[in-house]
Amino acid sequence: MRTLGLIRAATPPPVRDLWPRLRARLGDDERVHLRLPALGWREASAIAVALGTLAVVPDPLRFLVACGLL
Amino acid sequence: MARPRRRDLLAYLVGAGVAGTLLIGPYGLRVAVIEVIPGAAAVQPPFFLLPILWGLWNLLWTRRQPAMSAGRWGALLGVLAGVVVNLLFVAEGGWFRAAMLLPLFLAVVYYLIWRVVIGPLNEALGVDGERTAV
Repeated sequence: MRTLGLIRAATPPPVRDLWPRLRARLGDDERVHLRLPALGWREASAIAVALGTLAVVPDPLRFLVACGLL
Repeated sequence: MARPRRRDLLAYLVGAGVAGTLLIGPYGLRVAVIEVIPGAAAVQPPFFLLPILWGLWNLLWTRRQPAMSAGRWGALLGVLAGVVVNLLFVAEGGWFRAAMLLPLFLAVVYYLIWRVVIGPLNEALGVDGERTAV
């Protein structure tokens, strides 16, 4: 009887409330945190080059078809 | 049976998924463009291979961990794709002068897509691990 009492005293009670664990799991694993990069001069330059190229080529639609984008 | 690593599989699927979504352009608008410009049908790049190419390129990025950002890695693919498409046009006899600009144009377009879409997806899904952007 005394041994059983010692074992019971040494074991922590089981966690009955599962919601905190479930919420933690959903927060950590089930949601994707997308961090979009800040658009700076490099991106602005890339957009300018792309639009400039389309303005320079004689037939932009044919050019886009050749790119595989259209 | 070989079991691919989860990270490799995710890398391939991210690249292939984004490129597959972009194919709405060729599949949805190409017919209309060819109606307007009959000459546009003369050039037929194998755009349907884009998802496989992008998937493998993203997988390669995960495997090799190059010291460059996803945007630059995508730009490199754009240059290579532009050169290959030029060679293809030459082989088919459908080359035109403006095609010389394809490597530059594809490099900047791919740079933007890889920087704004694929890079963040890789990071969010844990594909790029501990790499720091350069």
